[in-house]
Amino acid sequence: MSDYKFIGKDIPRVDGPVKATGKAIYTVDIKLPGMLYGKILRSPYPHARILNIDTSEAEKLPGVQAVITGEDLREVRYAFVDTPRYPADEQPLAVNKVRYIGDEVAVVAADNEAIAEKALTLIKVDYEILPAVFTAEEAMEADAPVIHDEQLEGTSAWEDWGVAQKKQSHESEVKISNLSGHTAVSFGNVEQGFLESDYIREDRFELKATAHCQMEPHAAVASYDPVTQKLHVWLSTMGIFLKRYFLSKTLNLPASKIRVHHTYVGGAFGGKIDLFPYEFCAAYLSIKLGRPVKIELDREEVFMTTRQRHPIIVKIKSGVKKDGTILAQDIKVIADNGAYRGSGPVVIFLCHGFSFPIYNVPNYRYEGFSIYTNNGIRGPQRGHGAPQIRFSIDSHLDLIARDIGLDLVEMMFKNVRHKGDILPNGDRLNSCGLTEGLQGAAKAIDWKNKRRQFKTETENSRYKRGAGISLCSMFSGAMYYPFASAAIVKLHDDGSATLFTGAQDIGQGSYTTLSQVLAEELGIDMEDIHVVAGDTDLCPIDLGSFLSATALVTGNAVKLAAADAKRQLLECAAEILGVDNIEDLETCSKKIFLKKEPQKSIHFSQAIQASVFKRDGNPIIGRGSYKGYPETDRYPSLAKGKGLFTGAYGFAVQAAEVEVDTLTGKVNLLKAVTYHDCGYPLNKNIVEGQVHGCVSMGAGQALSEEVFLEKGQLFNPSFLTYKLPISLDTPESVEGLVATIEPSGPFGAKEVGEGSVAGILGAIGNAVHDAIGVRIKGLPITPEKVLRALGKI
Amino acid sequence: MNKMIELKLNGETRKIYVNDNQTLLEVLREDLGLTGTKKGCNQGECGACTVLLEGKPVSSCLILAVKVNGKSIMTIEGVAEEGHLHPIQEVFNEKGAIQCGFCTPGMILVTKDLLDKNPRPTFKEIKDAISGNICRCTGYIKIIEAIQSLAER
Ligand code: FES
Ligand code: FES
Repeated sequence: MSDYKFIGKDIPRVDGPVKATGKAIYTVDIKLPGMLYGKILRSPYPHARILNIDTSEAEKLPGVQAVITGEDLREVRYAFVDTPRYPADEQPLAVNKVRYIGDEVAVVAADNEAIAEKALTLIKVDYEILPAVFTAEEAMEADAPVIHDEQLEGTSAWEDWGVAQKKQSHESEVKISNLSGHTAVSFGNVEQGFLESDYIREDRFELKATAHCQMEPHAAVASYDPVTQKLHVWLSTMGIFLKRYFLSKTLNLPASKIRVHHTYVGGAFGGKIDLFPYEFCAAYLSIKLGRPVKIELDREEVFMTTRQRHPIIVKIKSGVKKDGTILAQDIKVIADNGAYRGSGPVVIFLCHGFSFPIYNVPNYRYEGFSIYTNNGIRGPQRGHGAPQIRFSIDSHLDLIARDIGLDLVEMMFKNVRHKGDILPNGDRLNSCGLTEGLQGAAKAIDWKNKRRQFKTETENSRYKRGAGISLCSMFSGAMYYPFASAAIVKLHDDGSATLFTGAQDIGQGSYTTLSQVLAEELGIDMEDIHVVAGDTDLCPIDLGSFLSATALVTGNAVKLAAADAKRQLLECAAEILGVDNIEDLETCSKKIFLKKEPQKSIHFSQAIQASVFKRDGNPIIGRGSYKGYPETDRYPSLAKGKGLFTGAYGFAVQAAEVEVDTLTGKVNLLKAVTYHDCGYPLNKNIVEGQVHGCVSMGAGQALSEEVFLEKGQLFNPSFLTYKLPISLDTPESVEGLVATIEPSGPFGAKEVGEGSVAGILGAIGNAVHDAIGVRIKGLPITPEKVLRALGKI
Repeated sequence: MNKMIELKLNGETRKIYVNDNQTLLEVLREDLGLTGTKKGCNQGECGACTVLLEGKPVSSCLILAVKVNGKSIMTIEGVAEEGHLHPIQEVFNEKGAIQCGFCTPGMILVTKDLLDKNPRPTFKEIKDAISGNICRCTGYIKIIEAIQSLAER
């Protein structure tokens, strides 16, 4: 495996120079001739009926080109989840009701931003304030205010793409107020498992909402050409084809009449995949006015009205044998998805999806509820459920280990899954580095010496140190629209190649890793590759950079496309070189040579010429495609957890050493260790970068990040008040790669960009307990919580 | 456009008209098309809009354009010379200090200021120098390593 020329090498990013020189164009940088600027009027109330909207004064303001309200868009509905069971519940602008502070009410398009903003102040809205509810548990009560009382039809925009329209009603069997999603999965016999257990423990954990904080704010530019009837859009997004699909459904335009153009994306982390009102409205206004329209959100709007991570309550009960073997687990998850469904039904499904691949629990019951509240909308955020569920399970396991006097690492060894295991839903772990990861991480954190658990000496120091560990997993793509990625490799006269891929580089380095895959497979050098990406007209479909699909799914598509091009080259070369079997040929640096006689070679350009002359002008174009999960053709069931989820799970084992200042309550993360099983790493530097980003985000979520909401009002919508890590918070970081080989991955690779945000939370939580001897069951672990736990306040 | 200001922008003397209430960031991005200077928050809290004013890093979203009359400004567009990447740019790329790239222009400019003043900064000095610049992608580690490797040169 080590004789690769490009794979696994620390090749610098191909988009590095354009970014380092400030030449990379992001959506916020786009400016078109005649462009108008849109601004959004938002609800100041968490729950209110709209009695009347008067836009007449705003329309009179010179420079205002259009004002639109929900009345103009009554029929438009869309959502991240749109199935017969969960019909779309979002509208671009509020119709009849507003449901959270920040809900979109009207949009103004004007000659400049200042005029648009002025116009917003001239719109008069009469509201009737309604009772509101702000926590999931309160919203579930029978007498809670009903947030969605509109009649949603049980049809699905996704029907034409594989969601069956079932005749039977999808009225939920569970009768709970404000329920937006329900997942129930079980296997084995949980009650029996508890009966056979030597020790049973129950815990409740709570994690708050967090913000993505992509450095590039959300923005959209739309330009409709009435002559060609084509809509051009520039979006800061992770999935151009999914956005095009949403736009085509909501605007009622054929998909081919919408072109998403390439831009660089200034961070996404899950928060740029849903369709947003500002995107729809920019497109709608551009069609209406025949001029380009840009809507850029300011930082406060990004915090308030894009997406947050779901605040989640996890209740877990586990039964174990004396030796630490887990016999039974009963997990309940309640997610607050805010005013609209967002990804509520997905996150409660994924909490199961990221719970069960780690430990082999023979008797297992999982139930998840996603609940409407009058808070901002929650959507995917890096790990999507993994941080919440992994923190809870491994905190709980640590408590059990302590209760029964076992070493947590030993207990983990006893219960983790292994390569070859088949999960209860049928997914097979063709690669799984959990055991090796545990060994590596425990060693790197110096577990035996740093763990205080079994030490008897009492220390009087103000600063207390401790160590913790936790495990996590992540999918490598799944079946979600558009279900597959394709790639095209076009060869040029000189033997160099252009790679066409719909995958967007959102910072994770996909243009580079995909180029490495192409270079390795085809036998050309990195500088011979030009990437054309992120454009729905130029590029073939792609799953998008979410669900961690790019390395495995798009990577395979690129590898197949390269192999296709190579086969065509070799066939031509075989004729020229007089070889019968193309197996006898190999390629390197744009040359084709005989394996046995490398001096006998021709240049790619000669083979291409021969192909043009001798094969109907074929200039050699390679094609490849790969499904989100080749073994199935359907979405997994969110409600029942049935069906296959992913072709390969990435894993990580993470450990932390912390120092707690018992006087101030401040927790300092001294060292963060990640042993990541991402299969075979395509580019170590990039893999490490992903891990560092995950660790930093995870540490932020563990120790300081929290969206402060008080009656639906966001109190910290700025970087000054929302405490995300800065350079001074950087811990010593150790990354170990458990280089497994994922047989289904390109060159053995699988996901790396999401999973390891999750384990660091539990590792820190467990380390804090180890340091101070008290458990904090909620995140973030703020100084206040520490002092409270220590009984000091 | 009611005031003319004169400034030395990336080494070139420019006369431009600005409004009283326009920030330097706005003028750079909207009027001069220098979009390499990024707007992350427009509140002076992220460092994405960093430019060098008289050689010192400042948040251009907090400075009114009229205030820079007669001053010199360097933006990210002025860092590479004659088509060659500046060593900081090169090393940032080699060491993996760039991911989404949105914080990169600001990071490179504060690094330039740091190394111009202090060619051999310590680990702590590096962390301090970039502490006003938020990067959500890298966890800062590879940025710090890149600057360290420049300091070792
Ligand atoms: S944009 Fe100026 S500091 Fe954020
Ligand atoms: S590289 Fe994305 S914010 Fe720094």
